[in-house]
Formats: sequence, structure tokens, C-alpha cells
Amino acid sequence: MQFVTCYVFYSFIFCYFFTGEEKSPLCEGCTIDIDDCTCQDIIDTFHSVNRQLDEMGILERLSGAAVTSIVHNQIQRYINTTCKGNFETSYIDHLEKWLDTKVLGWLNSIYAGEKNQCSISAFRGRLLHFLFETYAHARIEQLFAIVIDYPESEPAILDLKTCLEKTNLRALLMTSLRKELEDRLLHPGVNTTDILLAYISAIRSLRVLDPAGVILEIVSEPVRKYLRSREDTVRCIVLCLTEEGSNELLDELIKGQPLILEDDTCSDQEEGDWETWMPDPVDADPSSTSKSRRGSDIISMLVNIYGSKELFVNEYRTLLTDRILSQFNCDMERELRYLEMLKLRFGESQLHYCEVMLKDIADSKRINSRIVQEMDNAGQKMDIDINALILSAQFWPSFREEKITLPTEMQKSLEEYTKKFEALKGNRTLNWKPHLGMMKIEVEHKGTMLNFSVSPVHAAIIMKFQTQSRWDVEELSGVLQMSVSALRRKITYWQSQGLLKEEVPDTFVLVDEVKGQGHEVVMAEDESESAMTSAYQQREEELQVFWTYIVAMLTNLESLPLDRIHTMLRMFAVQGPSSSGEVSQQELKGFLDRQIKDQKLVYVSGVYRLPK
Amino acid sequence: MASQNQDPTAVNPACGDPGISAFPDGDNLFRWIGTIQGGQGTVYEGLKYKMVFEFPSGYPYQAPTVKFDSPCYHPNVDSHGNICLDILKEKWSALYDVRTVLLSVQSLLGEPNIDSPLNTHAAGLWQNQTLYKKHLLEKYEKDVRSKQST
Amino acid sequence: MKVKIKSNWTAVASWRWIANDENCGICRMPFDGCCPDCKLPGDDCPLVWGQCSHCFHIHCIVKWLNSQQVHQLCPMCRQEWKFKE
Repeated sequence: MQFVTCYVFYSFIFCYFFTGEEKSPLCEGCTIDIDDCTCQDIIDTFHSVNRQLDEMGILERLSGAAVTSIVHNQIQRYINTTCKGNFETSYIDHLEKWLDTKVLGWLNSIYAGEKNQCSISAFRGRLLHFLFETYAHARIEQLFAIVIDYPESEPAILDLKTCLEKTNLRALLMTSLRKELEDRLLHPGVNTTDILLAYISAIRSLRVLDPAGVILEIVSEPVRKYLRSREDTVRCIVLCLTEEGSNELLDELIKGQPLILEDDTCSDQEEGDWETWMPDPVDADPSSTSKSRRGSDIISMLVNIYGSKELFVNEYRTLLTDRILSQFNCDMERELRYLEMLKLRFGESQLHYCEVMLKDIADSKRINSRIVQEMDNAGQKMDIDINALILSAQFWPSFREEKITLPTEMQKSLEEYTKKFEALKGNRTLNWKPHLGMMKIEVEHKGTMLNFSVSPVHAAIIMKFQTQSRWDVEELSGVLQMSVSALRRKITYWQSQGLLKEEVPDTFVLVDEVKGQGHEVVMAEDESESAMTSAYQQREEELQVFWTYIVAMLTNLESLPLDRIHTMLRMFAVQGPSSSGEVSQQELKGFLDRQIKDQKLVYVSGVYRLPK
Repeated sequence: MASQNQDPTAVNPACGDPGISAFPDGDNLFRWIGTIQGGQGTVYEGLKYKMVFEFPSGYPYQAPTVKFDSPCYHPNVDSHGNICLDILKEKWSALYDVRTVLLSVQSLLGEPNIDSPLNTHAAGLWQNQTLYKKHLLEKYEKDVRSKQST
Repeated sequence: MKVKIKSNWTAVASWRWIANDENCGICRMPFDGCCPDCKLPGDDCPLVWGQCSHCFHIHCIVKWLNSQQVHQLCPMCRQEWKFKE
């Protein structure tokens, strides 16, 4: 009872004390019209009661719990109303000032007696701690949003950093943010790009919060693990890196620092000055070096999701190939600029293949103009003007080979071009790839004109319908000398354009009337399938190559443990450009286990050997 | 640079060369361990020898040093494992690699060059194939197999 | 229906050496790639033929010939090496 009475009493005064600044027709202290306000009387009574209680020596005992409780409540309320949702202002100084003027002012007025002064200053320390704790809790609750808002939210991060130094909330912060990241990001509904952007924000903001990088490492661990499991992660990162326009990753790339990878564990020697050396926090994972935690920049962090430069470079090469061969929108100057930046990051040797690819494009332009000029000089002209992209096959990703017999006029032009090329470049010739490339064709059907940009294969197919408007699919595949399945795949394009229809199963006919609009139609996105062999196919072939290496190893070196086989494979087998570069120890173990099942391998006491 | 050495599949048994195989010895690309089995129908049939290849930095323009690692009783092999084989000396060609060397050594086992022996005892005994085989197997049992079992 | 090919056909091809082998016998690298000392294929790392009709990356055969003290022989057929014009 005593507490409740006190609480109501002091709380009332507190309210008055705190709302003094606001203007309203009613006094908020005594809720009577301002003109008849009785507050002053009440205050006077309040002070005199306090004074008398103090004189009796029971003020502290009587009011202490209530006062503390009121102050705590007020701090919480104040923080919640002032700071919530605004991450762009620092509040620490403001809150401290508020505590000193308002809260302590009020306390001073209660404990006005001389002898109470030193207990008030002790109380201040406790309240300050409570203030920091409350504020930190409020920030931690909203940390996900704060992280996402970085760098705008930097003041909030810095505040939190100060709070962490004065409180004991680091562990809570880590658990809470880690869970928040998992709940909000790591499910199928979120785009990989969004997860990546969040991860980048986390890297940047948590670096500020904890320069040692430990919080980041622990909190973002599930994010990294999850990104590894997404198929399009590498592609998204590479896309971000090379996309036009300003974006954060590109800015990072331009900084052009060399990569710091986790495998570069260069001894225990700490870089920098021993005088400024700081030990890692106790919650740091001792298995990773503090250098890789502190030093690496964002691109390194992203590459480290996979731990392999090769994967990145290969993905870049695939995207570059796509841009050049499928989308024909390769801005050479831009690509060269990116290549130079990537070279700074990933090293010359890694990007050698891309360099040759870009050189191929430049060379092709030169060869084309040479050939055109020579023909002009000789007064000749090709039936169809050819603008050739001449590739150095060894340096490009492997292409699916598709056979087809092109219409005579197209074939003739290609042969003519080949002859010119052979004359220009002694002892060299060309292998044309009709399923790649793009040509503009004009289809005139029953008075309607339609324009298309299609591959030579597509053109060849529709041209067959000029002389014969009905084709059996088997027959057509025979004439074009392409497989039925490939033919069917390509025909769907003309079906979707409303030019052909499958009248009865396996028979395609030209439609009577086209409902076309006569404007140019570029090949639909889903139709322009990637020109390269699938990653899965390549992987299977690679694993087979690995096996021949493993057999050779074990024949000559008898028996080896997993990690030795792994390092030797990395040294000897994983080198070609067509290789995706890496096999993880885990994947290798799975592969070896399969060989054991097939009785091609024996595993005894920690080492693998061939069966006798 | 011995870059061409880096493809041991060229000497993999799975690739169709029976009885020969080789692989780099650990991390050192310039040192390879090879395994060679005696050719079918020769006195060496069923016997297995280890060889060591040391590649000079000028390889393939200079020949590698090739020695038997296991003791080998043969007219053209001395007690240190040195081999007398023309393609490893004056007849070396930049086209040779581990595989061709192993194949040459394999055929040398069955067809020694008696005129320039390093092991005169073996050269003398070669005429009598039955005796030769008996002696060879005794030596092999003593020098090679006893070591393999450890 | 009539189909007309408008000019400007972007055609894709890969180039290759007209040789009777895929790899250089000396460095074992594909002819269409380059020798271990080179970075760029084609014009920068061409093939040469001997009169014996064997061919190699020019850099590879020159190195081989330089390493031969007495006779300059084709590493393939051991005939005297003469560059084919």
C-alpha cells in the first residue's frame, strides 16, 4: 500500500514537472483550467512533505522504490517516443543531457537536503547505465531496419556502439540480429539480389559497430550459408559488379584493392603496428584469422561466400559470352574498362581468357572491314553482308554444337567469307556456328510485312515454308539435316509469332493470315537459350577427368588421405579454363564414396588406395 | 616450364597403355614417380618396377633424368638404377614425354641392347632365357618384393 | 510467303589452323591456343611447317632448334629441319 501511494504521489509530481513546457488550456499537472491552476500549491505541499520526511530520516526509505520505478518508466517512455524509427540522428548526448537536466533536476528537488547530494550522484551513475541499456534495447529491437538503412542509419549504429561499450548486451545483439536476418531474408520469397544487398549493408554497418569483425562473422553466418545454396548467387554478384550505373558493389570494385581470400592465411604475423594491436574479442571464432575478419572488403567478403575466385571469374566469362553472343549489346569500351578493374581484383591470369575474348571481338571488326574493303576494291559484293564474330574457341566457354544445312544463298555467303578469311590469314579457316548469331529478315505474307531478328537456324526453318507451306516434322528435319528435337524447339518460336501452326500432330503449316503488327520482333527471351553447355554436363565430365587423375595418383603413390588427394587435384587437375575451377573437399569425398561403392576404391585407416 | 607434364592422363592405364603409369611426386612438378610392368610374353611379365623422373627446367628441350627406383636386374640397368637408353641421351626429342619414355623402357626390358651393357652379368646370362628368368625372379624376390611387403 | 534476308547478318564462327593435328607435339598445347610462353593465340603465336610437312608453334620449334647443338632435326621425323616457304 505504501508503495502504491507513494508511486501515485510522486508520479503525479513527475508528470507536472515534465510537462511544464507544453501549452494547453488545461494544466496538465492538476487538470484544472490554467488560470485556476493549483499546481504551485501542490508543489509547495510536495516539497514540504519531502522536507519533513527527510528531517525524520525516512524519505529515502519511503519513496526510494517508487522514485526509481517512476524514473525507469519515464526513461523507457522517453526513449520510445523520442528515438524510435529515427536512425539518422544520434541521441546519446541528447539523452544524457535530458537525464541530467530533467530527471536529475526532479530528483534534486525531492532530495533537496544537503546530505542527499552524494547519493544522488551515485544514483546518476545507475540511471545512466539504465538509460544506455534501455536505449540499446530499443536499437537492437530495430537493428534489422537500421542495418538495411545503412549508411543513412550510421548515427544509430554509432550510438549502439557506444552503448555496447557501456553495457553487456553484445550477446543479445548477436542472437537477436542473427535471428532477424534469418526470419526476414532467408526464405524462398526473397530475391537473391535483395539478400545480397542486405548482406552488403550488414557488412558495412557491422564493420562500424565492431571493427574487429566478429559480430559480422557470427551474425551473417547463416546468410552466407544460405547464399551458397542459391544457384543464382554468383550470377547476381557478378551482375551487380558489372552493371552500368552506380551501385555499391561497383564503387567497391573501383577502389581496386586486391582480394583477401580466406585461404590466404599468411602465417600468424599480424600486419601493422604492434603498439596499436588489439586482441580479438573473446567470442571470436579462433579458426579464422583476425586479418581476414578485419581487413577484407566487401567484394572479398562476397567472393568468400564461395571461397573461390575461379567460380566468380567463370561466371563473369559466361555472362560476357551471353552479352556478346546472345544479346549483341556488348559495349566494348565498357567491357574493357570492367575487365581492367576485375584484373586488379582477381589477377591477370584469372582473366586472361576474357581478355582474349574481347580481343577476338576487336579483331573481328578489323577483319570484317578488311574483307569488305578488299571486295569493294575488286568491285565484288556478297549476296548477304556478313558481319562475322570470329572466336578463338579455346578461350570461350564450350558451345553446344548444332548441325544444320543452311539455305544455299546463306551457305554461299559463308563460304565466300571463309575464302576471304583464308586468303587474309594464311593456313587458317573458319567453322561457322549457325545456331549462333543474328540476322534481320523480312517476311511478306498475304500482303502483311513482318520483320524479325532471328538466328540463322530460325531463318532457315521459315525459309523452307516459302516453297512448301506444309511440312512433316521428320521430313523437314531430314531436309535441314537437324535433329527433330532441335527443330521442334526452334519451330516453337515461329508458332509463338503466329506464322506456323501444328495442324495435326507432327505437321506444321503456314497460317493463312497473320495477325502481326508489322513491327520488328526480337526473339523472345525464353527462346534464346544459353549457347553454352550446361554446368551440370560440364561438372560430370570434370569429375570423370578427376577420376583418371586419382587412379594415376594412387597407382604411383600407393595410398593417400583425402586432403592430399584434394590438394594434388587442385594442383594438377584443376587448371583448364573449361573447368569450373574447384572441387570442394566435401564434393570430392562424396565422389570417392561413390567409387568405393562401385568397388573401384578402398578406404582403410584414413587413406584411400586402389583395390588389389 | 614443364607444363606439358601436367597431364598425367596421358600415361594413365585407363587411357590404353597397359602396364605403365606415372604421377607427380607430391607437390613437385619436376619429379614424377612412374610404375612399369614387364611386357607380356617377356621374362619380365608379372614384375612391377618403380621409376623416378627428374625434369630439368629446359624440359622438353632437354631430356629428363630417368632411373629405376626399385633394383632392376637387366643388361642395360646398373646397380644404381641408371638406364642406358639412347632416347634419354643423344636421341632425345622434344616430342617425348613420360608416356613415351615409360613405353620405351618397358620395351627395353624385353629387348635389351646386349652390345652396350651396364650389367655384364645380366648381359651374359641373357642368351639362356630359362636360367635368366630363374635368376631374375630370385633377385626380384629378394630385392623388390621383400621391400614391397613392408 | 516470301522471306527476304536484310543485310547485316551477324554470323558467328571459330577459327582454326589447317593442320593435321590438334596439339603441338612439343608443348602439347592446342594449336588453336598458344604456346606456354604466349598469351594471345593466332597472329601472335603462329604455326610453322617444315619441309617434312610437320608443324609446330613457331616459338616451340625455334626453341628446340636452338637446343640442338649438332644437327637441326625435326623432332617428329628426325629429318633435317627446313622451314617450308
